[in-house]
Amino acid sequence: MKILIADDSRVMRQIVVRTLRQAGLGGHDIIEADNGRTGFDAVVEHRPELVLSDWNMPEMSGIDMLRALRAAGLDVPLAFVTSEGSPEMVARAEQAGAMFVITKPFTPESFRAVLEPVLA
Amino acid sequence: MSVEVEVNENDLAEMVEQVWMSYLDPEGLSPLIPTYDENQPSEVHSSVSITGSWTGHVVYGCSTAAARRAAAAFLAMELDEVSPEDLSDVLGELANIVGGNVKAMLPPGCFLSLPQVMLAPEATTKYPNTERISGVYGLWDGEPVNVSMWQSRNDTKEEDA
Repeated sequence: MKILIADDSRVMRQIVVRTLRQAGLGGHDIIEADNGRTGFDAVVEHRPELVLSDWNMPEMSGIDMLRALRAAGLDVPLAFVTSEGSPEMVARAEQAGAMFVITKPFTPESFRAVLEPVLA
Repeated sequence: MSVEVEVNENDLAEMVEQVWMSYLDPEGLSPLIPTYDENQPSEVHSSVSITGSWTGHVVYGCSTAAARRAAAAFLAMELDEVSPEDLSDVLGELANIVGGNVKAMLPPGCFLSLPQVMLAPEATTKYPNTERISGVYGLWDGEPVNVSMWQSRNDTKEEDA
């Protein structure tokens, strides 16, 4: 599966990739973007089957990227990986069409619990 | 607008512990040992600001050695492989993770800033009209790590009124 990881932290992008592997969900084709705008462009160019996105990023936030994707008719499944997991944010994410929210700090177990059904 | 602070030192300690368990010490071999010393020194720090129903800052400060060690743990690499960019990126992400979790405990209507990183002691950054309301201070393999919350005095004055 082709997966886009959007996060302004290069370190966090690496951790997401590593955690997927540790969760037994590795071996996918990974594309990276460092903000919502480049993430949007990467979706258009590479047509990933899943997007894992940070929320709080410069240039364009994750939620704005999601809204832009949906407005452009791109319905790629998107999940947020963010430190901001309040009920308010989860509701906003779901309203905008996100699958779910994974809260930082996360573990391989928490990744497996939500992503295994999607990636299996 | 102001709200009562709903994040206490125990909450902050739990968030810090989760960061240790998830990224810095997943095997539980090197926990952060509390010192309760809010004056312990730091050499580098990062922060995020929260504005809205609560206004203030969350600051992560530590020694350069602790920051390098955190970067090595985050990136699963050796200490001497950590670049200055890695160190800054990890410091920013640590403030972002703790700050985001703090924000999640506050009432709706708060905004979290992007992190700022300063490769200088915490004392070099001033947060005007704020006071430190909470903190977790400890040693990680003998190196100081401080996580503190600073609240706008405008907020605290309204609470006192």
